[in-house]
Order: sequence, then structure tokens, then C-alpha cells
Amino acid sequence: MTLSYYLALSGLLFTIGLFGVLTRRNVIGILMSIELMLNAANINFVAFNRFLYPGQYAGQLNAIFIITLAAAEVVVGLALVMAIYKNIKSVYVEDYNILKG
Amino acid sequence: MSNLILLNPEIILACAGLLILLAGAFIGESRAKLLFHLGTISAAAVLGMVVTQAVMAAYGNGTMWVLDPAAQLFKFIILLATVFTLLLSVNYHAIQPRHVGTYTALVLWASCGMMFLSGAMDLIYLLISLELISISCFILTGFEQKNPRSAEGAIKYFLMGGLSTAVTIYGISLFYGATGTTNLFNYVSSVDLHFNDPAYIMGMLFILVGFGFKISMVPFHFWAPDAYEGAPTPITAYLSVASKLAALGAMMRIFASVIPHYAISSTLVIAVLAALTMTVGNLTALFQTNVKRLLAYSSIAQAGYMLIGLVVADPIGRESVFFYALAYLVTNMGAFAVAMVVAGKTGSYELDAYDGLARRSLGLSIVMVMFLLSLAGIPPLVGFVGKFYLFASAVNSHTYLWLAVLGVVNSVVSVYYYMNIARRMFFSESKDVSAVETDIYTAGVIFVTSAATLLMGLLPETFMRIVKGCVSFHS
Repeated sequence: MTLSYYLALSGLLFTIGLFGVLTRRNVIGILMSIELMLNAANINFVAFNRFLYPGQYAGQLNAIFIITLAAAEVVVGLALVMAIYKNIKSVYVEDYNILKG
Repeated sequence: MSNLILLNPEIILACAGLLILLAGAFIGESRAKLLFHLGTISAAAVLGMVVTQAVMAAYGNGTMWVLDPAAQLFKFIILLATVFTLLLSVNYHAIQPRHVGTYTALVLWASCGMMFLSGAMDLIYLLISLELISISCFILTGFEQKNPRSAEGAIKYFLMGGLSTAVTIYGISLFYGATGTTNLFNYVSSVDLHFNDPAYIMGMLFILVGFGFKISMVPFHFWAPDAYEGAPTPITAYLSVASKLAALGAMMRIFASVIPHYAISSTLVIAVLAALTMTVGNLTALFQTNVKRLLAYSSIAQAGYMLIGLVVADPIGRESVFFYALAYLVTNMGAFAVAMVVAGKTGSYELDAYDGLARRSLGLSIVMVMFLLSLAGIPPLVGFVGKFYLFASAVNSHTYLWLAVLGVVNSVVSVYYYMNIARRMFFSESKDVSAVETDIYTAGVIFVTSAATLLMGLLPETFMRIVKGCVSFHS
């Protein structure tokens, strides 16, 4: 296994995530796509650390930080989805159209 | 670790937030406003600490952060904006008494994140500060739970914010791959080493997206009008002033000082984005009928003007951005305060609410005209001086003369929609002619901001001297 396999995997995950964010109609789906993108970055960090800078811990530490950040973000995100679901009774983004202009 | 003492203001602010959150559980609903006062006092006390640090020239480096005059100036701006925001919130109707503790604590924590951001010298530290700001602001934007607009603004803000965070993190991982560190202290000497590394340049551009989102740079600005319209008005003012300026400060540090954008040949990208930001912001603002949306688009355009200084990136450019940041702080805060007072009386943020305002409250109308003129950049107000410095820095650089010209054209366009509000206030009639009252807290904010708008415009030299003293980045 070389670095390039890992980078290809992370690039693929990132692209799938970005595609999902741009095309999904369901808010939960968009949230999941964002998580995919975050994990693509994690794979990058750990793979770079393992193959390019084997003496360090910085990459692995960063990955742990990012997992924590992602958890914090998704908690707030789901709470906001709950809040809007109570108001609008829909999880589809095209129904969120009170604000425009 | 010995330098942790330099972070005392942030630590104290975070602890104050925790205490206020805790106090919120024990204070009865009838006395909930006490918490706003506690929050204001702690922010003001930390502001005093920051000024004391600056006067004593207590500067230094930490492992991942730096305390330099530029960071101090932005901390000062952020804390001033926090104090104003909390004062505006005291009599804002839509915050339920039992949630005041949470609200105040979140504002303090967001400010804490912004203070961290202004001294960040490590990309992971920077990322965590950005997230602390984002997550607190997501919640604050959606704070009016029963209001579908607030929820919708918050979810749009969150989705765009989450996306930009993910892109930024991916950029940081590429940066790490290219350089082997996320720390910007160790990095400085090796600019030439990575000059042509594609992973590195891509990483830097991805990081730019994260900042672009925070300062609502076109094409990452789509969240701004919706979030601004949905959020409680004090939070709209807070987002448009504190969050934007803090990100701009960090952007100046990274892209104008540590890793200059001309060293990675991305100056043209930033210049084009600056031009797009001011043009799109101004042209869209022309068609708005809601004051909050109008001010949102206007603040996108203002970010475009400030980016000119980042493009120029020499000491004059930096000075002018810092001065404009101060000018924008007082002017925009004041404009939102007046909009809040008017909406509190008429219940609407539509432009119609301003019809005949001069007859209902002359003082308020005059002050609002002052803020609008300052935003448009008309002398003798501070906005003119700020824009003058910004455009002068672009003219000085010769290469970016076209940005200065575009900036001037944009300012002329902006006069139209700003003066449209003034025209309604002075030359239109309204059915309701009852006076518009201002409560004491909002009146205080409006008084201070309008006095500063006028004073800084009349005595620009004095304030410029202070700003010049703050312009140096440590690296």
C-alpha cells in the first residue's frame, strides 16, 4: 500500500461528499455528505502522517481534533433540523423558502 | 506554556460565559435582564484588560498563538461589538427570559473564539476558533425558536457553514501534507520551498474558502442575507460586524503577512473576488425592500472594499483595512440599532416602515442618515475617510488602480439605495404619526456609535495614529 491509494480514497470521499451536498434534497442527507467530506480530510491527515512524516504525531492528533469538531457540529445541526421541522414540517430544502430576494 | 498568561482575557471571558450560563439556571425569569448586565460587565472588563495589555506592550508568542498589536486591535474591536450587541439585546422582545443565560453565554463564547482567531498562528488552532464562532453563531441565529424565519436562516447558515468548514479542513490536510506542519511559526522560512507545490497551493485556496465564507465574500455569500434576515437583530449586527471583522483580521495575518498571497501567486484571485464581492453586493442591494436584507447586501459590499487592502497587502493597505474596520464597526452597529428601534415600534423591517420617520422622531432619522452617509462614504463622516485610505492604498500600488476605480463606481451606486431610505424618512408620509421611543440601552449605543462616526470623521489623524501603532504583525 502506498500513499497514493489513501489519497485517491480521500479524494473520492471528498468528491462524493461535495456532490451529495450540492444535489441532495434532504437536510439529513446533506449533513451526512458534510460528514463524508470531514472524514476525507481525516484520512488525508493520518495517511500523510504515516507515509511522509512517520516520526510525528501531529497528523493523528489533528484527526482526533476534527472528529471532535465534527461531533460538536452535527449536534448543533440536528438540533437546528429539529427546530425547523417543528416550524415548517419538512426536511426537504426546497421547502425552506420563506427568506428570499 | 509560560506564556499562557497572555491568553488571560480569553480565559476569563470563557469562564464568565460558563458562570452566566450557570447563573441563568438560578435567576428567576423576572430578573433575567440581570444576566445581560453581567455579560456586558464581563465583556467590558475584558476590554479593559486588553487595553491594559496593549498599553503595557505585553506582547509575546505562545506555541500556537501570538499576541501582537494587530491582534490587540482586533480584540478591541470584537469586544466593543460584543458590548454593543449585549446592550442592544437587553430590550429585544423575542428573547425569552428563561433563555437569557444561554444567549449571553453564547455571545461571550463566540467573542472568545473571535479573540482566539485574531491571534492564531497554527491552522488547527485557527480551525477550532473558527468552529467556536460558527457553532455559537448557528445557535444564536436560530434563537427565536417559534419564528420559522429564524429557523430557516439558521439552517441555511449551518449548511453553508458546514460545507465551508469541511472544505477548509481538507485544505488544512493538504497544507499538512505539503509542509509537514500546521504551525505557521516554523513554516515562515520555507515559503520558497513550497512555491510550486500544487497540493500546497490547493490547500491555501481551500483555506481561503473558509475565510471567504466568514467574511461573506462572493461566491460564498449566499448564506448572509438569509441568516441576517432570520437572526434576532442584535445577532445580525453581531454577525455583520464582529464575526466578519475577526475573520478579516485573521485573513490579513495569514494572507498578507505569514504566507503572503503574492508569494503563492494568488493575488489576482483575491483581487477578482474583491471586485466581485463589492459589485454583486451593491447591485443586489439595489433591489431589496427589507432593511435587514439591504444592510446584509451592503455589508457584503463593505467586505469587498476591505478586501482591497488585503490585495494591496503593504503597510498602507493594512493600515487602511484596520482603520476601515473601526469605521465599519461603529457605523454598521449604529445602523442596525436604528433599524431595531424602528422595527420595535412598527413591527416590520420593510422599507415602508421608514415612511415619514423624520416627523415621528427627528433625532433618530438624522442619526440614521448619518450612518447611511458614512456607509456610502460621504464626507465628513468616518466612512469617507476609511474609503479614502483604502482606495489611496490601491492607487499607490499602481497595479491595482482598476480596483480603486471600481470601488469608487460602486460607492456611487451604493448612494442610491442608502439615500432611498433617507428619502422615505424625510419626504414620504405615513398614516401613523406617533413618536418612536428609544429605550435607554439602545439610545446609549446609538449615541456612542454616532458620536464616534462623526468624531473619527472629523479627526481622522488622531485615530489613524493609533491604528498606525497597531499595524505590525509579529511573525
